[in-house]
Amino acid sequence: MNSSTEMEPTQDWRHVLVALALLSAATAICAVLDDAISLMSQAMIYLLAVVAASYRLPRLAAVGSAIGAVAALNFFFVPPRYALAVEHREHLIALVAMLAVALLVSYLSTALKRESAAAHESESRAGQLRSLAIDLAAAGSEKEAVAIGRRALLQRFAGPVLLVTSVDGAIDAGVDAGVDVQRALRCCIDEAAVLGPGTGRWPGLDAWYVPLGTRDRVVGAARIEPALASDTIGREHAQAIAALVAQGVWRLRLLEASLAARAEFERQHVQATFLASVSHDLRTPLAAIVAAASSLEAQRSRLDDAEQGRMLAGIVAEARYLSAVTENTLQLVRLSAGGGALRTEWQSLEEIVGSVVGRLRLRPSGGRVRTRLGRALPLVRGDATLLAQLATNLIDNALKYSDGAVDLTVVQQGDRLLLSVKDRGPGLAAGDESRVFEPFYRGRDASDARGAGLGLALCRAIAAAHGGSLGVSRRARGGCRFTLALAVAEQPAVEVAT
Amino acid sequence: MSIKVLVVEDDREIRGLLRTALVAEGFEVLTAVSVSEATALLAHDPPDLIVLDLGLPDGDGAQIVRAVRSKSAMPIIVASARHQEAEKIGLLDEGADDYLTKPFGVSELLARIRVALRHRGTTLQPATTRYARGDLLIDVDAYRVERDGKPQHLTPTEFKLAARLVRAGGRVVTHRQLLADVWGAEHVLDTHYLRLYMAQLRAKLEAVPSEPRHLLTETGVGYRLVVD
Repeated sequence: MNSSTEMEPTQDWRHVLVALALLSAATAICAVLDDAISLMSQAMIYLLAVVAASYRLPRLAAVGSAIGAVAALNFFFVPPRYALAVEHREHLIALVAMLAVALLVSYLSTALKRESAAAHESESRAGQLRSLAIDLAAAGSEKEAVAIGRRALLQRFAGPVLLVTSVDGAIDAGVDAGVDVQRALRCCIDEAAVLGPGTGRWPGLDAWYVPLGTRDRVVGAARIEPALASDTIGREHAQAIAALVAQGVWRLRLLEASLAARAEFERQHVQATFLASVSHDLRTPLAAIVAAASSLEAQRSRLDDAEQGRMLAGIVAEARYLSAVTENTLQLVRLSAGGGALRTEWQSLEEIVGSVVGRLRLRPSGGRVRTRLGRALPLVRGDATLLAQLATNLIDNALKYSDGAVDLTVVQQGDRLLLSVKDRGPGLAAGDESRVFEPFYRGRDASDARGAGLGLALCRAIAAAHGGSLGVSRRARGGCRFTLALAVAEQPAVEVAT
Repeated sequence: MSIKVLVVEDDREIRGLLRTALVAEGFEVLTAVSVSEATALLAHDPPDLIVLDLGLPDGDGAQIVRAVRSKSAMPIIVASARHQEAEKIGLLDEGADDYLTKPFGVSELLARIRVALRHRGTTLQPATTRYARGDLLIDVDAYRVERDGKPQHLTPTEFKLAARLVRAGGRVVTHRQLLADVWGAEHVLDTHYLRLYMAQLRAKLEAVPSEPRHLLTETGVGYRLVVD
């Protein structure tokens, strides 16, 4: 790293030339001014050249130029001229002083150069760590963090560099490394200590093994080459990089764990709500059935025919309601479990609506349903049973929350097929538009109405399973409108038959 | 001599209730709790009709349907829960006559039994070829279709479809059966043919095609012509 101390031959020559040039210049100036100035001034001019050479050139060249300067001054200007003999002791002292100045300046400037190089180096290391920290903070996955760490190590070390993460001390099985390397990595992780040249642990290794993180929280290890025992600064830098990568990986793991915990909490919350509401929806009709049936069992002789008939009809109605709730619940659970068992075939909404309405007509409230269907409606791909259930639930819901007519329409609009169910009931409170589809949500006026609290949630799940959407809007003059939108696919070919 | 019904059902409560209800209607009732017991009963004391529950403990109802169909046209009514839809359709395709979805009322069961018994022994008696109910008349032999007394022109395919439903005499006909019988075995998966042709047929035969009174859709299963 200290390139200034390793002098290459070409640089050597250049230094000699620079020294010679400086000395020649000093000699020339002294010769020109020889008659005008004293020997002391000439010595100063040579000293200037020596200081300049000491500042610019490496020590050897500096010393060389000091000796050269003394020799030149002595040879050209100190009497007796043109001889190396020294006449006065005073001149000898001046020459020695000049040599000392040359050495001192050379020493000081070399030290200055080394210090500023070290400061520059440490500045660049700090800068690298800073940008590494920023990159790691933005990393979205462990893999990404590892790649960033690897890149950072390769900026400083020639490589090869290996970076692995571990979970509970176990290295990722996919690591492509020899048995010895794997063993050293494991040891590094287990001991949470740096191994390799200069560390005092396993100095015989040909690389450094640096743990990612500190004791109790080691998330992996790095193997770094080249590793020189003397390169303490390099090793410390590697450790700093490893510490940052460890922090990044740890942050990602914590994030993942907290997201998982939150999802689990939400799942449990939904499940708890679900169970509470299902049991409510199941218990209410069951209570009615048990009350009526036990009354018939115990008091039949004291009840007249009309009362008995009413109770029996109640039992049948409650039981049918119970069956509908059970069916909705099961379907919803099946769909939300991602039950890919959607039996899709080409379906005619006209046909499905026809059979649903036909069944509803058998009920007293069925007469309130009015249908209007567009002409030549396209077929859609879907599960007939589920689509029928969706239509049934929407109509049931409208019949339950309103007393007037319920309008069902199916029309094609561009590349979408729209099935709407409209009522003139109390409508929705502001903000209820999305909540009505939550399992077991009931509108403000629904407290007394017994709810297939799941009915609309199931409708939405069915719509989603068909790649469609189900929305609700308030109507201008009261009531609401539920609209199922299904995409119209390219229609199937039919062989031209008669 | 009273008509003998075999009820194959593993739930004791339901078995008991069905027995009571059917005896009250004047049927003689045999019961079995499993496929093996039913098979044994069928060999020694063949009934006139079977009510077969799906999901029996020792196996597949299809075994019974196949065994019975290989020998006779004895009516079989399948009772199934919603989640057994696929199995139910499989049995209908195999030759079961009709189905009930649990929970069903006794009146529904009796209606299905009446329809099924009307065609008891269709292998021996001539098949139903005439449908006359309300405003609609379909006479297969005479190739005549009338609504409100006015003749309706049906294309040959429409007529074949209508005739197939008439022959079923009020029993459900599955998609697969209709496609195979009207269009041929290579079309058994082309349900869109049925959707299109049923729409055409309803336009000609129903007063309000969107709310049919004769040609009913059995959602996810097939079609039937309503009989009174």
